[in-house]
Order: sequence, then structure tokens, then C-alpha cells
Amino acid sequence: MTNSQDRAQRSGSPVRRQLIGYAVATLTTASLMSSTVFAQAVDISQWSPEYIRSIAGTEEVDTAATCSAVVPLDYTGKLTYWWTGPNEASPDIERQINDEFWAAWKATYPNIETDAQNIDYNQLLDKLRTALLGNAGPMVLRLQILGGIEFASKGYFQELRPEDVGYETANFWPGAMKSVAYDGKYYGIPTNNETMGFIWNADVFKRAGLDPESPPATWDDVVTYSKQIHDKLGIAGYGMVAKQNAGNTPFRFMPQMWAYGGGALDEASDTPTYDTVEINNEGAKAALQASYDMYVRDQSVPVSALTNTQNENQQPFIAGQVAMVIAHPSEYAKMVDLAGKATGADKPVADAVVANMRYGLIPKGPARRAVVFGGSNMHFIKPEYVDGGFDETAAKAFACFYNSPEWSTKLAWTGSNPGNLEGFKTKWMKERLDSIKFLDVTTSMLPSGIPFPVIPQATEIMNIIVPDMLQNALTGKMTVDEAADDAARRVDDLLNGL
Amino acid sequence: MSMVSTAPSRRRRVKIDPWRWVGRIFLLFLLTFTVLPMLWMVLTSIKSQFAAMQYPPQWWPAEPTLQNYAKLLDPNGSTGQEFLRYFWNSFYVSMVTTILGVIVAVPAAYAFSRFTFPGRTFLFFSVLLRNMFPSVVFLMPLFLLMRWMGLVNTHGSLILTYLTFGLPLSIWLLKGFFDNIPIQLEQAARIDGATRFQAFFFIVMPLSTPGIIATSIFSFIGAWNEYVYAYTFLSKQDSMTLPVGIQRFFTEFATDWPGLMAATFLMSVPVVVLFLVLQKYFVRALTEGAVKH
Repeated sequence: MTNSQDRAQRSGSPVRRQLIGYAVATLTTASLMSSTVFAQAVDISQWSPEYIRSIAGTEEVDTAATCSAVVPLDYTGKLTYWWTGPNEASPDIERQINDEFWAAWKATYPNIETDAQNIDYNQLLDKLRTALLGNAGPMVLRLQILGGIEFASKGYFQELRPEDVGYETANFWPGAMKSVAYDGKYYGIPTNNETMGFIWNADVFKRAGLDPESPPATWDDVVTYSKQIHDKLGIAGYGMVAKQNAGNTPFRFMPQMWAYGGGALDEASDTPTYDTVEINNEGAKAALQASYDMYVRDQSVPVSALTNTQNENQQPFIAGQVAMVIAHPSEYAKMVDLAGKATGADKPVADAVVANMRYGLIPKGPARRAVVFGGSNMHFIKPEYVDGGFDETAAKAFACFYNSPEWSTKLAWTGSNPGNLEGFKTKWMKERLDSIKFLDVTTSMLPSGIPFPVIPQATEIMNIIVPDMLQNALTGKMTVDEAADDAARRVDDLLNGL
Repeated sequence: MSMVSTAPSRRRRVKIDPWRWVGRIFLLFLLTFTVLPMLWMVLTSIKSQFAAMQYPPQWWPAEPTLQNYAKLLDPNGSTGQEFLRYFWNSFYVSMVTTILGVIVAVPAAYAFSRFTFPGRTFLFFSVLLRNMFPSVVFLMPLFLLMRWMGLVNTHGSLILTYLTFGLPLSIWLLKGFFDNIPIQLEQAARIDGATRFQAFFFIVMPLSTPGIIATSIFSFIGAWNEYVYAYTFLSKQDSMTLPVGIQRFFTEFATDWPGLMAATFLMSVPVVVLFLVLQKYFVRALTEGAVKH
């Protein structure tokens, strides 16, 4: 049994060709961006798995020395910090790195008294909203990429850019910087950039008469493969996610919509203005029709897709009841972690699951290959909303330390890429490339990343209106056209403040 | 040749009552409905994470393990330390809420039961006013109030809040109890020289023990399980209570089901034990007043 990484290293394999072809295809796009990213430590116009490998491990960094130039290491102060970090459900390695980070922080700035609260992913936004209303926020926080704009637009965040903590804006991915910009100003620093990939079960593919080593190349192929798998094996082909009011849904449906040429607004264009509603254009309707075909016509996806998040798809995928899913790299790391801990009779089953997992690029569509440009950003809250006052120096020391090439890379170990592009040059990036399967896929997807619209209404559009549109079409409450038009009307109303 | 006559055996014909069997089947269904989820919770808690994700599910774990419990109860491990801290926080908040609730509710209910004063009926019904609104309506006002009082991130904020939620029910329950205790017993005590407080403390209180215990159980369970206010008022790991703390078994991309089930099982233990030990009082409290004395 081979894996994607092995295949990627063999000349002529389909995934290898895909990656190279894809990298070449992105050169044109990237070169268009190069005029705005001069002086970059990492040349994203050359972005390809080969380029990433060629620069990894070429630079030594000294985090303490870098940050001492921003804030003296003997500074005495205090810091309050909220973030979503690893917990019991995370792979062991993530928790281990997290512990190492806090130990290193304490060793580097021993006199900064730190109160760091690790808050659950699903709780953080709500808690922050409440805390800010009561002027009880933390000094520094790290939010998912979609979360910050709401607070920036309401005036809760301080202006913040990499230069404030010793780094250059040019060393952060342009798409990521776009996610921390509002009204022409920057309000944060991208801590990590992440894109998802496409996981499939090679054994299921083989039994269904498909090439086990080749993922569907296009979204039309996904529909065809899903039907073939369902017809031959009686299991779900594609792990659709369409739950209402859930962030998982747009993260999996928007890549499909963008690939067909649609979009909520014009976020997929090179210079988005977020003024044009595109959720009912032909591309968007084609994407919706493809989902309709899989769910209603072919019935080749889980019946529970309407209430599923990705968590609910993991179990049937591991059990071989779902053949293909869009998945975060963390999910692969988690499965490897689980297999490593399995014992007795569970062990061979777990090992077989991991051996059958393949990880490749998300399929493309008639318009493009696309994936949600995800990740997280660090923000400073304005002093008047902070519980106990704002210690600017301590906050800057922490932001410098966290976003250093070293920790930007280490903290993104299993599931992400460093927000500070200098991290790609470190020995830790080389170690990741040498030890983590499929990392090439994740880094290769980055240039296809499209950030959600950077407007305060983005959360409602993505988490409410897009899932509602899917539900309306998939439940037969509306036709595909009607569902798309209804979504467009709602987006329009939202943007116009109705 | 002797004749042996056999008298026809008199078989007792048992009449089958179909309604009785319908009732039994219904009870069996209810029992299954109630017990099965708990059974599944316990079974999942002794599986490995991988085994818990199998389909078809392992009805009995192939490799049963108590590792999840050991991890949660190990005071030397980080998981155990946090879980035990959450456990203690929940216990502390629930216990203080219960004790304070009883201290306030007992005299209040006694006053409503025994004394006549202007506005008595109005006040008695007005204590229910808060319970007429969904609790979430008070979330932000109470948060701002707690913030103003400097109680955010303290257990005091939860105890105060839970008291305001639990007191109306406690007062109403206890008043019913006091109403059923003949006032002549107190009058007799007064004639024998007891003060009003002594009559209350030595005569009425012991007689109303079932009611006080039932009220305490209600109050304890309410505080023990409460999530929304604890989630809003507390953001420091050190002060989290169990319902909020067990969220650590969820991430954006994965759930540690066996760990979560083990934590949930352990969380249910105090309530179940409390209920089992005190259930005779609880049942008595529910039926008290059903028969006119």
C-alpha cells in the first residue's frame, strides 16, 4: 500500500502531475500578486511543493533575540490572553507543543505575569461578545479568521500590523492580511494560514471499480464517483455537510461554489469589492445543482447530511461508510493519533483505516480550484474594553513571540501553515515536511485559498444564509433556482441593513 | 378391582387483563428509553477513542479499558487536575447555593404560610415573576450587574444567580409543606412557654424535613447542571464548573467521545447518589398535601 506522499515523490504519478500542474497554473496568478509583495522573505510567486522543500531548513532563527529588540526580556508586566488551543480531543503532539510554547514563553519573559484562557472553539465568539459588552475582555486574543471583522467593525480592536511587533507585512500571506483589514486599516496579525484537502478511502474506491490512487479531478467527477460508489457498495460516496448555523457547512460548500464560478459576493475575484451579490449566478446555481443531484437525485451522500457537521462524518469515514470528504489536515493527524493508541483487536482495524486514507487536492471546477483560506488572527483589544487595563508592552512581547517564525511554525504543526512566512525557512518546517504525510497537499492548496468576504456580515452570510440555501434546495422546499434567488435576496437585504 | 374416580380438577381460570399488559409494555418502553442512553454512555466510556468510532458499533468493547476514568481521576495528570478542579467548583457552587437557598427559603415560606401582612398575596405571586421569563433574557443584565459588583469570574456570581432562580420554587414548595403542618402544634408549644422561634425551630422544622430535603435536591440539581450562566460569567479555567469544563473534550475537528462519556458519567454520580439516598423524602415531598389532614 502506498500513500500520497510516497506517490508524490515518484515521477509521473497522477497526484505528482496534479501538484506540478497546479503549481504551474498558480504561477500566473501569483505573479500578478508579486507587484504587491515585494521584499518578501518567501517568494510566493514561486510557490510549489518543490519550492517549499527547497527553502525549508535554510535559516536559523533566535526568537528571544528577535523579540528582545521589540521588548526587553526583563520587562515586568501582565498579560491576559484568550485563544482556542488544543485539548483532550486534540492529537497528543498538539498538546505537547502547546506545553512547550508556554514553557518557552515563561522562560523568555519570566516577569510577564500571564493569564491565558484556552476557550472552546464553539464558545469563544459568544464569550467575547458578552465580555466586551461588559468591558471585561482580555488584552490579546486569537480568533478564527472569520471572527475578527465583526469586532473590528464595532470598534473593539486596536489597529495592529506586523510592523508593530517587529515583523514586516510583506512576510505574511496577502490573503491573510486581507482578513485583518477593515476600512483601509489593519487590526491584527495572521497567526496561521490553513487550507483543507480532500481525503478518500482507497479501499472503497477499489471495490467500487475506481482507481484507488486517483481522487476525482473535478466536482462533476465527485458527483459521478459518489453515485458509482453508492450504486456498487450501498454506502455514501461523498460526505456532504449541510447543517444550518454551522461554520463547517460553508467551509465545505464554498469551495464547490467558487469552483463552479459562483460566490456569496465577489470574494473569489482578484480585487473583491464585496458589493456584488453572486450567490444566485450561474456558477452558484450549478454548484447547488450538483449538491442537489448527490442528495436528492442519486441519494449518494449521507441522509443525515442536513444535520451533519464534519465531526459526524468522521465516524462513518473511519468505518468505511463514507468514501470521500473535504477534511482539515488535523483530521488526518487525529486519525493517525487514534490508530497509534488503538490496542488488541482494534489495532489492525485502525491501521487498515490509516493505510487506506489518501489525501489530495480539492477538486476543481469549470472556473477554478478553490478552498476556503482559513486560519486565525491575533488581535489587541482597546484598553477601555479590557478587564484590568491594557499592558501594551506585554502584549507586543507576546505577539512578537507567538508570531515568530519558530512558534508560528511549531504551533501550526499538524493542521496548518505558519502565518509568518519566514517560518517556511526554518528547520521546523523541514522537520514537518519530512515527518507529516500530505503536507505537500496542504501547502499546495494555499494559493487556491479564497478568504470569506471581509465584511461584518460575513458570519451571517456564511453560517446562516449559505446553509439555509442548501437546506431549502435539498429538502425540496424550493427549487435550486428559487433557493439561490432567495439567498441572494437575503444577502442583499443584509448588506442594505434591512 | 377398585374404581378410582378422579374428580375433575378445578382449574383456576386467570383472567388476562389486556390493559395491564399494555401498561407493562409501556413501562418497559419507558425503562428502555431511560436506561439505554445511560447504558450506552457507560459502554462508550470504557472504549478506546478508535473503538468508539467504529461502525457498526461495538455493542461490547473489544478492548474494554478504564483508562478514561483513570485519567480523569488522576490528581497528578493535567487532565485529572482540571477535571477534579471543575468537579470541586461545581460541588462548592451547588452546595453553597443549596445551603443559602434553604436558609432564605425556609423562613420566607414560613412567613407566607403563617403570617398575614399587607401585600402577602401579591408578594407571594411576585416571587414567581422571574420564573415567568426565559432565563436567557436576564443573561446580559445579570452579567453587567456582576461586572459592576466585581463578581465576574467568581463563584459568587453563580451562587447569587442560582439563588434568584431557585428561590421561587423553593419558597412555593416549602409553603405547601408548612400549610400542612397543623398550627395547633405550634400553639401548644407556645402555651408550654416556647417562643415563636423555638416553636418554629423545634416543632415545625423537624416536621418539614422531607420538604426541606426535596427543596434542597431541586436546588442542588439545578445548580449542578446549569450551563449558560456559568459559561457566560466564568472565563478562567480555574473557576470553571463541570458543565462548561467538559467542553474540553470537543474541538473544531474531533470529539473525544469516550473521555466525554466518562466525564459525564462521573458528573452524574453525585446527583444519582444524592437522589438514591434521599429519595424517600423526595417522594414524600411530592405527595405531601395530596391528602387533606
